Amino acid sequence: MTGGESEPRSSGRPRLAPAEAGGMTPLRFGDDPYVWASWLYYQEEMTQNDIAETMGISRATVFAYLSEARQRGIVSISIEQGRLASLTLAQLLKSHFGLRDCFVVPNGTDDQTLGARLGAAGALTLRKFLKSGDTLAVSGGRTVMAVGDNLRIAGLQDVTVVQAIGGAIARNPVSPAQCASAFAMAVNATCVNLSAPAVASSAEAREVMVAEPLVTGQLGILLRANKALFGIASLRPNASLYSDGVFDVADLQSYIDGDAVGVLVSRFIDARGQLVEGTLDDRVIGLSLDDLLRIDLRICVAGGFDKVPAILAALRRGYPNVFITDTATARGILRADGAKEFDQRAGDKQAIKLRTHQPRDHVKKFINAPDAVVEEMLEGAIRAHRAFLRPVANSKRALVALEGPRPGKVGLVIGGGSGHEPCFLGYVGRGLADAVAVGNIFSTPPPDPIFQCTQAVAGGAGVLLVYGNYVGDVMNFDMAAEIAREHGIETRSIVTTDDVASSPRENRDSRRGVAGNVFIFKIAGAACDMGWSLDTCEVVTRKANARTYTVGVGLEPCSLPQTRRYNFEIGPDEIEIGMGIHGELGVTRGTLATADEIVDMILDQIFSEMRPVSGDRVAVLVNSLGGTPLMELYILYRRLEQRLAAKGVEIDTSLVGHYCTSIDMVGASISLLHLDGELQELLHHPCRTAFLQVD
Amino acid sequence: MVEPLSHSLSRMFHNISDSIEDAKDQLSALDGAVGDGDHGVTMSIGFQAVKAELSRRDVDAMSPNDLMNTAAMAFLNAVGASTGPLYATGLQRAAQALVGATDATPASQAAILKGIVDGVRERGKGQRGDKTMLDALIPAAEAAASAIRRSANVEDMWREIVAAAEAGAASTRSMVASKGRAARLGERSLGHVDPGATSAVIILKAMALTFCGSDPGIVKMTSERGGQRVRKSESASEVREGLNG
Repeated sequence: MTGGESEPRSSGRPRLAPAEAGGMTPLRFGDDPYVWASWLYYQEEMTQNDIAETMGISRATVFAYLSEARQRGIVSISIEQGRLASLTLAQLLKSHFGLRDCFVVPNGTDDQTLGARLGAAGALTLRKFLKSGDTLAVSGGRTVMAVGDNLRIAGLQDVTVVQAIGGAIARNPVSPAQCASAFAMAVNATCVNLSAPAVASSAEAREVMVAEPLVTGQLGILLRANKALFGIASLRPNASLYSDGVFDVADLQSYIDGDAVGVLVSRFIDARGQLVEGTLDDRVIGLSLDDLLRIDLRICVAGGFDKVPAILAALRRGYPNVFITDTATARGILRADGAKEFDQRAGDKQAIKLRTHQPRDHVKKFINAPDAVVEEMLEGAIRAHRAFLRPVANSKRALVALEGPRPGKVGLVIGGGSGHEPCFLGYVGRGLADAVAVGNIFSTPPPDPIFQCTQAVAGGAGVLLVYGNYVGDVMNFDMAAEIAREHGIETRSIVTTDDVASSPRENRDSRRGVAGNVFIFKIAGAACDMGWSLDTCEVVTRKANARTYTVGVGLEPCSLPQTRRYNFEIGPDEIEIGMGIHGELGVTRGTLATADEIVDMILDQIFSEMRPVSGDRVAVLVNSLGGTPLMELYILYRRLEQRLAAKGVEIDTSLVGHYCTSIDMVGASISLLHLDGELQELLHHPCRTAFLQVD
Repeated sequence: MVEPLSHSLSRMFHNISDSIEDAKDQLSALDGAVGDGDHGVTMSIGFQAVKAELSRRDVDAMSPNDLMNTAAMAFLNAVGASTGPLYATGLQRAAQALVGATDATPASQAAILKGIVDGVRERGKGQRGDKTMLDALIPAAEAAASAIRRSANVEDMWREIVAAAEAGAASTRSMVASKGRAARLGERSLGHVDPGATSAVIILKAMALTFCGSDPGIVKMTSERGGQRVRKSESASEVREGLNG
């Protein structure tokens, strides 16, 4: 769009609130009049005349800004997505919480950390607001220090920077004293420290310290501060508050028990931002929350999901009147506070819930009474596979292999919820699992059937319990293992963690167990069948687990028999990457791509961890999650094979089909087992089960 | 007039089961947003099993301790999953606290609540702020303890318990889940109320109804056939009064 307006624009009435007019670039646009002009033009749809008036510049300049902005790529057809989101969010936060101003930094695609980003934004903000003659109170912490690192303002006179709270341990590099110094140097101000700790050893000690003339004088200056800049600390387990030496962990726990959700200027606040009383109250030296509220300009810089409850509390009470955060946290705060305008705003793709038009709500199924689904399924399965398994005693929930358990052999018990058929009961038989405990749909079985299985397969050499890594499974299997121990049966528990997408590499142990289970069960079963010791069976099973990598992708949700409804929503063009096997949401939502692209996405992730080299051998499993047909699995396999061939990796064994499903979910997973000599041998060890037979 | 405790407990489990049935679909929908969509079904199966087991027994002849333990095992054996061990251990701790108790006094009611919270905490190794049922249960137990200290009457105690639990459940909206399936979602769990905390509130309201003989008056038990959202607690909306711009 050049000079002429092709559509009528509302003219004559600038749409900004009076406070924003008057020429000063509103905070949320940072320093950038180009972005401001573009925003007014494309988002607010103002005429260039009105923009000129709002910005306090000439119309010609507006025109120049708009052209320049387009050339710079700030605006193509519309404002670049990330920028638009952050501007929208800043506006929303401002109105929702009644802030004087707000700045939301886009989360970047480059390497700059959140802290550095917030630091830069904080510095920019301070540059806007700090004037000669000001007294600025400053707290401590990583974020505040990051602001100090980015700060450089010349030309101010008679500014004082004063520490807002007492000191921490001597070596803390981000203590309030260090921060105050950094700020003072950056703006050429006088630095006033507090010659006292943040938390005195007792109320009496505090009285003595604040009575010292030096400290009295310093506190006097602090109370005259007209501006403040502070961060917010979270009380969640990994927060830096636990290691920065100001508070004892025991004290922190007592405040948490007292409902505290966060800390600012060394004071504890609850979810509504009220002070939480506790053991330290009469020992803290520094700004009180009431003192803070008396300061005219209160800039708060904070970001990160762990801090959302704490930030929300502070915003609700109005501690900040200028707030700086990042896009992701801003979104989280607004969502957490149920901001109604939020979901309706365009420009932020993640915030939009695409409401799928499901042609029907209820899915047709071959069932009788919905509540009897699991029982009837088991009755049918037990009869169908009577050549391989039978119930232990009267319970259909504990099934044991007809051929398998024998004296002197380590027993192998697997188990988990229903809804994954043929997993788990399809793998019970000679050379694989000796018994299986079956739970309700997508639910772990309770301890009882697990113990019954354990008892049924104990041959005096111990029992291996192998199951997927889920909180519920761990609890129930552990309870069963306790009961087993009381009965003199030694057990070892191994959780499968093959779902690469579910946790980053550093947190391998918290990954979910998904379709790769099948390989791990096979290896464990073979080791046990070879008559190896409990220790050896455990070691080789753990090795198999460590060398199995799975990524699943969901296209459509599954539907539970009891409700006959889909258990989540997904849009027409969306896919769920890192899909689990319970129909729970995956790790991220992506856009529908071609089969080859999806396989590439999956393999890139797997290869980055597995690092196969030419000459390696793998077993592959292309698994349907229930609703995806073989036809599509073969298409996925084709690309998988191409990629492996290109790496010079040989496929030793291919499994394609329904191996570990999620009822009727449309989706698939790819698992790779990185073989070595031992694993390969065990993989080829004979077995005879309803769904896997190796001769 | 004080009812024998076993009798009250039996009524309590019936009320809990009925309330959970009413809210089943809504709970599963809440869980669908962050988990695998089966929380409502799981709770329903568990408490139906408790109701069924108690119907088979001569409740009047059972001690409160015995009854609670029976309920615990019935729940656990029906359900498994993570809810099973958590509530089972909770009910077992409550059972321990009721050894020797005979009447449904406020003190024994508070002891039940404390037992449940202690058991859930112990088994799940959780704490406040994890975005779980504990975010409703811990404030509820504290409200009960406070009411007992002040010798409050039973209606006031339950009103405070329910209010505290509702506020706690509502506060889970701002938390990032750190346990269970929802923990995988990271920030996508923000904005969603935890289903476990929601069902804990439903259970507490059923308990309130049992022990007060009438609705405590703060919030009616909503009948959820159409997937209505749980009503937010009053304190959360109070807070935003002055801030809406």
